[in-house]
Amino acid sequence: MVATLAAAMLVAVASQRQTDTTFAVPAGASLSVNNFGGGITVHAWSENRVKVHGDVGRRGRVEVSLVGNTVVVRTGSREGAPSVIDLDITVPQSMGLTLGGTYADITVEGVQGPISAETVNGEINVRGGKGTVTLHSIQGGVTLADASGRIEVNSVNEDIELSNVTGEVKVETTNGEIMLNGIQSSSVDAGTINGDVTYEGTVTDGGSYSFGSHNGDITVSIPERANVTITVATANGDIDASFPLPMTNTAGKHRKTFKLGTGSARMELESFQGDIELRRPQEIRERIGEHKRDHHNDNDHDFDKDHDRDTSFSSHFDAGTWNYAARYAKAYAPKYAKAYAPQYARAYARMYARTYKRAYRDTDTTSH
Amino acid sequence: MNDMWMNRLSEYLDGELDNTERTALEAHLATCGECYATLGELRQVVAQAKQLEDTPPATDLWSGIATQIRRGSVVDRPVRRDRRRFSLTIPQLLAASIALVLLSSGGAYMALRPGTSKVTPQLTASRQRGIGTVATWTGPTDAAIADLQATLTENERRLDTTTVRIVRQNLAIIDRAIAEARIALQKDPGNAYLNLHLADTMRRKVELLRRVNDIAAQS
Repeated sequence: MVATLAAAMLVAVASQRQTDTTFAVPAGASLSVNNFGGGITVHAWSENRVKVHGDVGRRGRVEVSLVGNTVVVRTGSREGAPSVIDLDITVPQSMGLTLGGTYADITVEGVQGPISAETVNGEINVRGGKGTVTLHSIQGGVTLADASGRIEVNSVNEDIELSNVTGEVKVETTNGEIMLNGIQSSSVDAGTINGDVTYEGTVTDGGSYSFGSHNGDITVSIPERANVTITVATANGDIDASFPLPMTNTAGKHRKTFKLGTGSARMELESFQGDIELRRPQEIRERIGEHKRDHHNDNDHDFDKDHDRDTSFSSHFDAGTWNYAARYAKAYAPKYAKAYAPQYARAYARMYARTYKRAYRDTDTTSH
Repeated sequence: MNDMWMNRLSEYLDGELDNTERTALEAHLATCGECYATLGELRQVVAQAKQLEDTPPATDLWSGIATQIRRGSVVDRPVRRDRRRFSLTIPQLLAASIALVLLSSGGAYMALRPGTSKVTPQLTASRQRGIGTVATWTGPTDAAIADLQATLTENERRLDTTTVRIVRQNLAIIDRAIAEARIALQKDPGNAYLNLHLADTMRRKVELLRRVNDIAAQS
């Protein structure tokens, strides 16, 4: 079905199990989608039309209308509880998007306009975006790649990953890692409570960079000729750098300042429990590559299917399990050690103290 | 915190230092991480304050003021020639920054929520007793958090059980972080980093509660 939205409003209500609507849109139009449950997938094309495809099931329905200069897509249910509907929408490349859902996974591919996406229980994966890009999820990971502009990404219970992003960056989660890779920015602010923060990107003269975690490690890349004043603070962690750090000031036992070059950029690195690592960009890139390979392999349910020449799962179970265990041990040992050390240190200290006290007493007694 | 420049930062930001003082402070900032970090926080407070929209008062205050003037109860104050200065201490700045979070957008909803005023003072008092002398600036924030949490308890039935579970888990994670920061502060009360870290962690809790309350309100 092809329709032109010359009139003020178009309503397409699906009566079948699928809806498929394509219509022309005015220049500068934006898209607003609200889908309670299911998926929202948006692709870009070079045409000046919008195509809405929805798998609506028996009870669901999709309404498409033009309100002002905004194409509004809403989903609903003919009866009873809200339906789970998968929407697949194709839009002009520069179209601005506002996407929202409650149990919705949101995916955007190749759109070069402003993007706002918010879901409660669902992942957000965006490639593209220009201008203001705001991505929020409570229970779901968020990834953003190849975007530029003013970037704000927020999750609560999952990881956040940004790659090849240019512009002002603000990233926050509570229980998850933050991985920033290939960032070109003079302003980056990233923080989590329970997770590591990794930054590989530019350190621009006069820029401002802030990375924080309560329970995780902070690892940042410092390019060789960076002009930056780095303030490092940790309550219980260590500070390590793969290059010499000229100490400028030690203000208290928890905070240290280092000046590299002219020191014109400001960088603050803070972790209450974790370590802080300053590395060269290549080291971080290698580490991120390793992390991605591990993550990819961890998602292989036969453990090593990308590398196995033998297709028999059972015959390679042991080898696969060993690889799997070795990778996990390597990845998680430092984290668990750090987490369990404070918990068990006292108990073990007491136990060993008692044991050795007895042993020394016995030794002492027998020697006299 | 014993830094002589620490209490001059707000004057610096307001452009109230003379050239000599400004140059000296800038030289000091280049070498003092604590002052530099505090200045950053202060800048954020100022920036956020500028972004706040003017909200008309909920009631017409002027009629009350006019009545007081008519009664002649407003005491004439001597004209002060010097400009009034607002030099804030670090705890005040921290509290102010969190207050700004509360006041912005969804926070206004909380502030205007019926019954808020009945809950807040009582909670403030009890919470402050629990905290003791460490990080006393957290009192109003604790009260605000308690209020937001009370609202969330009321609103939880609007959210699905998975979301409620996830939110509770994450609030517990933040609470643990807050508790650890408080314990560290008990040992080192004047530590600027620990104060800032506690403030930032509390801000996160405020923002999470506010966000979840907003989601519940929209459900």
